[in-house]
Amino acid sequence: MLRMTPFELVSARSLDEAVDLHSAVPGALYVAGGTDLLPNIKQGLFSPPRVVNIAGALPAGIREESDQIVIGAGTRLSQLARSAALPALAAAAGLVAGPQIRNMGTIGGNILLDTRCLFYNQTAHWRASLGHCLKAEGSWCHVVGGPKTCVAAQSSDTVPVLLTLDARIRLRGSGGDRLLPLRELYAFNGMKHLKIEPGELLTEVVVPRPAAGTVGSYSKLRTRDAIDFPQLGLAVSLRQEDGAIAALDIVVGAINPQPKLVPGLHAFVGRALDTLVIEEIAELVFQRSRPQGSVAGDVAWRRQMARVYTRRALHQMGGLRDSEEAAA
Amino acid sequence: MNEPARRSIPLTLSINGDEAEVLAPAHWTLLEVLRYKLRLTGTKQGCDKGDCGACTVLMDGQPVLSCCTLAGLAEGRAITTIEGITGALPRAFDVCGALQCGFCQPGMVCSAKALLDENPQPTTPEIKAALSGNLCRCTGYTKIIEAVHLAARDLDGKGDRRTASIPMPALTSAPADGFLVLGGRGRKADALRKLSGAEPYTDDIALPRMAHGRILRSVHAHARIRSVDTSAAEALPGVYAVLVGAELPTPYCVIPWTPDETALAIDKVRYVGDGVAAVAAVDEETAIRAMDLIRVDYEVLPAVLTLDEAEGNKALVHEADWKGRPRKDNLCKEVELSFGDVDGGFANAAAEVNEAWFYEGNTHAPIEPHCAIGDWGRDGGLTVWSSTQVPHYLHRELAKVLGTPQSKIRVIQPALGGAFGGKSEPFDLEFCVAALAKKAGRPVKILYTREEVFYAHRGRHPMEMVMRVAGDADGRITAVDSRIRIDGGAYHSFGMITTYYAGQLLTGPVQMAAYRFKAARFYTNKPTCGPKRGHGSVQPRFAFECAIDELAHKLGLDPMELRRRNAMSSGERTVNGQLLPSTGLAACLDSVSAASGWAERWNKLPRGRGLGVACSMYISGTAYPIYPNQMPQSGVQLRGDRSGKITIFCGASDIGQGSDAMLTWIVSEETGVPPDDIVVVSHDTDLTPVDLGSYSSRVTYMCGLAAQEAGRALRQRMIEGLAAHWKVPAEQVGVGLGTWYDKGDPNRSLPVQQVLQIAEAHSGTLGTTGGYRTREVGGEYRGGSIGASPAYSTTAHVAEVVVDEETGVVRVEKVWVAHDCGRALNPTLVEGQVEGSVYMGFAEALMEAQLFDERGLHTGPNLLDYKIPTAMETPEIFTKIIETLDPGGPYGAKEAGEGPLHPIIPAIANAIFDAVGIRLRRIPFTPDRVRAALAEVHPC
Repeated sequence: MLRMTPFELVSARSLDEAVDLHSAVPGALYVAGGTDLLPNIKQGLFSPPRVVNIAGALPAGIREESDQIVIGAGTRLSQLARSAALPALAAAAGLVAGPQIRNMGTIGGNILLDTRCLFYNQTAHWRASLGHCLKAEGSWCHVVGGPKTCVAAQSSDTVPVLLTLDARIRLRGSGGDRLLPLRELYAFNGMKHLKIEPGELLTEVVVPRPAAGTVGSYSKLRTRDAIDFPQLGLAVSLRQEDGAIAALDIVVGAINPQPKLVPGLHAFVGRALDTLVIEEIAELVFQRSRPQGSVAGDVAWRRQMARVYTRRALHQMGGLRDSEEAAA
Repeated sequence: MNEPARRSIPLTLSINGDEAEVLAPAHWTLLEVLRYKLRLTGTKQGCDKGDCGACTVLMDGQPVLSCCTLAGLAEGRAITTIEGITGALPRAFDVCGALQCGFCQPGMVCSAKALLDENPQPTTPEIKAALSGNLCRCTGYTKIIEAVHLAARDLDGKGDRRTASIPMPALTSAPADGFLVLGGRGRKADALRKLSGAEPYTDDIALPRMAHGRILRSVHAHARIRSVDTSAAEALPGVYAVLVGAELPTPYCVIPWTPDETALAIDKVRYVGDGVAAVAAVDEETAIRAMDLIRVDYEVLPAVLTLDEAEGNKALVHEADWKGRPRKDNLCKEVELSFGDVDGGFANAAAEVNEAWFYEGNTHAPIEPHCAIGDWGRDGGLTVWSSTQVPHYLHRELAKVLGTPQSKIRVIQPALGGAFGGKSEPFDLEFCVAALAKKAGRPVKILYTREEVFYAHRGRHPMEMVMRVAGDADGRITAVDSRIRIDGGAYHSFGMITTYYAGQLLTGPVQMAAYRFKAARFYTNKPTCGPKRGHGSVQPRFAFECAIDELAHKLGLDPMELRRRNAMSSGERTVNGQLLPSTGLAACLDSVSAASGWAERWNKLPRGRGLGVACSMYISGTAYPIYPNQMPQSGVQLRGDRSGKITIFCGASDIGQGSDAMLTWIVSEETGVPPDDIVVVSHDTDLTPVDLGSYSSRVTYMCGLAAQEAGRALRQRMIEGLAAHWKVPAEQVGVGLGTWYDKGDPNRSLPVQQVLQIAEAHSGTLGTTGGYRTREVGGEYRGGSIGASPAYSTTAHVAEVVVDEETGVVRVEKVWVAHDCGRALNPTLVEGQVEGSVYMGFAEALMEAQLFDERGLHTGPNLLDYKIPTAMETPEIFTKIIETLDPGGPYGAKEAGEGPLHPIIPAIANAIFDAVGIRLRRIPFTPDRVRAALAEVHPC
């Protein structure tokens, strides 16, 4: 079977110790759940000399404060999936992989997932047969057919939802703590898609409490209803006031290295969420989504699904509001 | 950067309530420590990297993947493995027949336990969700879900889940009328051993001083090997032996006429993944490092990757045949046969369909990767343990390639974790462990990575089929003309048989007046295709059953009715001369029609929802052995013992289908010795008489007859002994289960143990034999014996699908199956085979595909990219067993393991037509293809 190359395993009892243990050995990597890291080491994508166990050091659990919800980075996805604090985030966490991986994987790891690509997440033998790729040992991106840009996809299910919620992440580095808007974390570069310093440790996710009446949703496109990474993930956050859209944010995930808000949606503020408007929004999302072939599934079909999923999410969320109002 | 030295750390782990102190490398996973340090081998390894769930254990009560958990991170947590789980769940799995090969069950049971601990009364959707990270390749999940429900009911009844347990189930239960055992839902004797983690599979075996091997594989689809430099590998400390192709030059093949493959490539590599060199070292990690040090100088050649490139001879995959004669093309085998007046049949037809279909390749993907261990004793004898389903053929080929007499080789098949045809011929690792073990002077094990399993392949052939089918106004099929090109991959495998099967097995159970086919298999530079469940005939069955559906549409007939009008009856011969001693097609169609509400629902459901029907037949073993001989195809020896036990010796391979259990029940039926007192010694070439192996659905029929014969001989000895003892005529001796009795004296009976003792005293040591010999069957023309079988099963399916026209996603919600297996020796096992077949076929229809890019590189040789359905997508399966007793089968039994796969693919295609009016002629029916087909019919 696939075996990992040897490394030293050290365990941190505190966040500061974790940062120190990491910085002491160049190339060291953190591990909390291991569900993203270990397969990659097994496939020869990384061969860290040291792995720093932060499972015991990371804060875990969900804390509701008056104006924000604070999620420890060590919170397991299965725990997040059971939380009532942020329903769309819970739904997304519950759709990650399969039950076992949700019991292991943490929200911190899910935010910092390495980007994924059909030409990258393969064994060393396979990649040698390919002639390697831009992201690992090679000089050519087989997805776009060029030497410059790596389009490996950020494939988290929770990140699109957290982006619609304007979450911030708390990072611990050798210089202390900083709070970074999640919307500033990602870059359009599959080789280096995280704008953080080496060794910086994600410790908490801080989500501003959504304005009253905000509803969110996450829908996931995949072949199987378990195990699979998203072929496309769609997060929507919607608030309506007096029958009109008051706030609307949409993120399409798993299409490229940099998940971000679909631009231009503010134009719909003030308009009623009727079928016609929904079609316009779906068309905008379709226009703004250009899925890369780094993820399985026909690219044109995936792009169409951005439209279909948007339409369905908005119909459902609009309907939900209507029925809630009717009930009230 | 230099790799840090491997460093072991002391770990204290809490496992099943025991404290275990162990020294293990810091980078090892919990799985590696459990299996290879603590020898807790109940936890299985299937996919290398977190995709299959076989390695699931509980950590503080929560299911986790031990293959993706560093052992060091498991310290201080309470770990539960299958060895620590007793009580209701394993019992329920056993009672429900929820395990076949048993390889995924340890992980499955762990997930189920966590569910019931948290939610003692789960709903079916909750069970599916909880098990959705555990892939099972055998069962179709149906009986697993039943088992969890059963365990939950038991918990409910007792109120205390810690002490609750289902009573030890009986090995026998409610036999059919007139039988002691058969027809009952007895449990499999091996089930609880597997459910406790105790039954060793090949990789669970560790021998003293054992080395670990790896095989270096080609990175090119087609290249000449200029040189192989192994010096650096040999110099690496810890390396015991290195092997190259030239050391094992004798070619082999499971079919003795076509040996075109060597253990390792010698002059050329012919696909990405072809073996080039092998190493054995102190451990697997050292073997991997050594493998990476081998330098191969390749001259890259143009690769033949498509049927057109193969037929156009872009390059020659094989430049010479195995006799050294130059080849001029890539044609591996071509068959053309014609029966009846085909042209006349088309000329007089009322309607015809003439279309092209394409069946994409796919693979078996058993959860257990192939594994083999070779060991030479001091006496010069070789033992090979291997995850094979054909120990006898492996035995023969090992002798040939190694140049060692068969009498000096012993092949043992340990428990097997799924096969489906994927382990039914020799593979490179089996020769390599033998040769490396000899060079290293110690036992050598090789375990394939999941990637290597995909390269070993021998799975479903891609087939391009042009089929023309005509019918008269009454719906009788007047002519069928089939033209098939088969993409065979790099080597022959069963290729000649595949090519015949692609034509010969289509001619029933739907009768056709005239039939012509031409099938040609070509070599390409891709992993070799072979026999996957329903070998050679699943693809043309897809085309044919879709074609007659279209034909029915053109004729204005209900497709169910068209099949009824052409249904063959028992005793009829097909147009190509195959005798169907029994067939229950009409009963199968009636059953699925009634169960699915066909008359009220077909062609009447709201748009987007549809029903489709299809049917098929399949062989119960092939008429003749793979190598011509007059010896029995299957042999059974029995030992009757004065302890009251019977031991059955038989070469048959239990690959999870339950052949050991089948043997037990038949011998029990004949002798009255309860199944609990019968031991099976199987698939060990030193101990057991030859059975040719588990392929072509031959075991129940052939081995069953052999067991019946041996059992009857023993019964006769027992009757004679007891008759003499009681001084009564033999006819007066009654055989009961556990107790024999005097038919003439209701007060006289004896326990069967005493009957055995009396018989032994009467006639000496109790040993009997039985064998199955092929009867003359088949058509009297060249090739007429290929596809000829002593008996054929029959199946009909109705599938209900929902097509989402916006997304293109097809969901198969329900499948009704009626399968005629003759006498169901054990209905639970038959249902398990049917459910597993439906599962595997529906997966081929919707998502599985073995695809290659323009380099000949497999597009995703792992269980994340290659989609095996989970419990979530698998349809609800309703199985009805039809018992059209076969006059030749054991107690009337026929096959059940492969036939039921065939109809599901066309049934789904036909249901999609009923739902949204599109005819899909290429599998898999992926959402983008569905949308594209919809757009053609309804352009925006």
